[in-house]
Amino acid sequence: METIEVRICSGTTCFVMGSSFLNELYDLIPQKYGDKVIVKPSLCLGQCSSNDKHSKAPYVRVGEEVISSATIEKVLLAIEKKVGENE
Amino acid sequence: MFIDVGCSQEKKYNQNAYGDYFISKRYKDNGRVIGILSDGLGSGIKANILASMTATMLLKFIEAQSDIKVACETIMNSLPVCKVRKISYSTFSAIDCDEEGNAKIVEEGNPQFLWIRNNQILNPEERVITSKTFPNRHMHLYNIKLEKDDRIIFCSDGVTQAALGTKELRLGVRREGLIEIVLNKLKETPFISSDELTKHIVRQIELIEPDHKLKDDTSVVCFYFREPRKSIVFTGPPYDMEQDALYAKSFYSFNGKKAIAGGTTANLIARELNLEIETDRNLNVGKLPGISYMKGVDLITEGILTLTKTMEYLEKGIAENDAAGKLINFLLDSDEIKFMVGVKLNQAHYNPNMPVEIEIRRNVVKRIVEILEEKYTKKVDVRYI
Repeated sequence: METIEVRICSGTTCFVMGSSFLNELYDLIPQKYGDKVIVKPSLCLGQCSSNDKHSKAPYVRVGEEVISSATIEKVLLAIEKKVGENE
Repeated sequence: MFIDVGCSQEKKYNQNAYGDYFISKRYKDNGRVIGILSDGLGSGIKANILASMTATMLLKFIEAQSDIKVACETIMNSLPVCKVRKISYSTFSAIDCDEEGNAKIVEEGNPQFLWIRNNQILNPEERVITSKTFPNRHMHLYNIKLEKDDRIIFCSDGVTQAALGTKELRLGVRREGLIEIVLNKLKETPFISSDELTKHIVRQIELIEPDHKLKDDTSVVCFYFREPRKSIVFTGPPYDMEQDALYAKSFYSFNGKKAIAGGTTANLIARELNLEIETDRNLNVGKLPGISYMKGVDLITEGILTLTKTMEYLEKGIAENDAAGKLINFLLDSDEIKFMVGVKLNQAHYNPNMPVEIEIRRNVVKRIVEILEEKYTKKVDVRYI
């Protein structure tokens, strides 16, 4: 089975827009999914500059999917969906 | 050569002001450094005023006259005499040197300086000039040529006369004692910075004094002529995207320590050079994002927030152990710093809905450079790309 990679952006825009509130995910995800999902910070996902007019930081990437205005609930939901697809 | 200047001082026991004064100035365009250590008569506020006046005036004189001999002679001939004690108001040591190793040193009343090469004391030739107005004042003039890794150490008489009259050291520490302290430390750590070395000497003097109470103001100054420590900081993506590869390579091939401040910048270098970035979330402390790692790069931080914090810390002179604190250690550990500043703006940063106001990178870097040059006497070079 393929592991799902979750990257939380800690670039300037995301950080200012509250990506540190997502820090809880670093504990939550391994607890819930073990090694099925790995979660790592990213220096910058580069999303804000490519999408500046309607920048919706903070961004999190779950697999290939980019989640804008990310919250813990939104990220967990996306992971749940991905895990379901994988199984 | 780079001239690493360090000074450490301690007040006389029970005094609330320093009676010795050290001042130095580095001239960026010709690599000249002038330094003056002055010891004011007595101690406390009075001594402090006398010493600081003598040192600042001498600095201005040497700067203006371009000849240290004339400047020092003028001061020597005009320093007043204390009515009560019948001795001059202050004594001084002055050095005017450059990065080629040419140095002119003048001493009046202070203990003779140490010139150290390969852990040996060298004895320079001296010329004595006697004051025309006060025949008891003599000025010692030295004209010397320094080599790489040479050190010059000045001190006030608080050092050489420490422990004077005690059972163990009837005549005080004297020059011999100082030499012993310095050479022992240099044997242990040959490349110690001037700052660390002077702190060590003052600490030793304090330990030698009975009850660790200093009987006089104690100052030590060191000039260390060494190979400069170079470093480079790359921050911000270049204006012209087509040049990214070129800039990334030029940064990576720099001969010295390297730091990147900026997520986009780090991504750009990783992309162009096919390197991996690892972000450390454990250092995500305080109000700043954490730091990251890349092979061959010593430090990677977030960009503008970290730089703004770095500027604040440098201004205040205190730093916390966050990403900006790490960047400050990086900067202060270097003698020559090169900044590569990409000027492309990220529009998302200037969105009025952002809860924090974000400064323009160029302005922040400009201020950091000013502080590094003026307050920390670093040699800084900035290139906007």
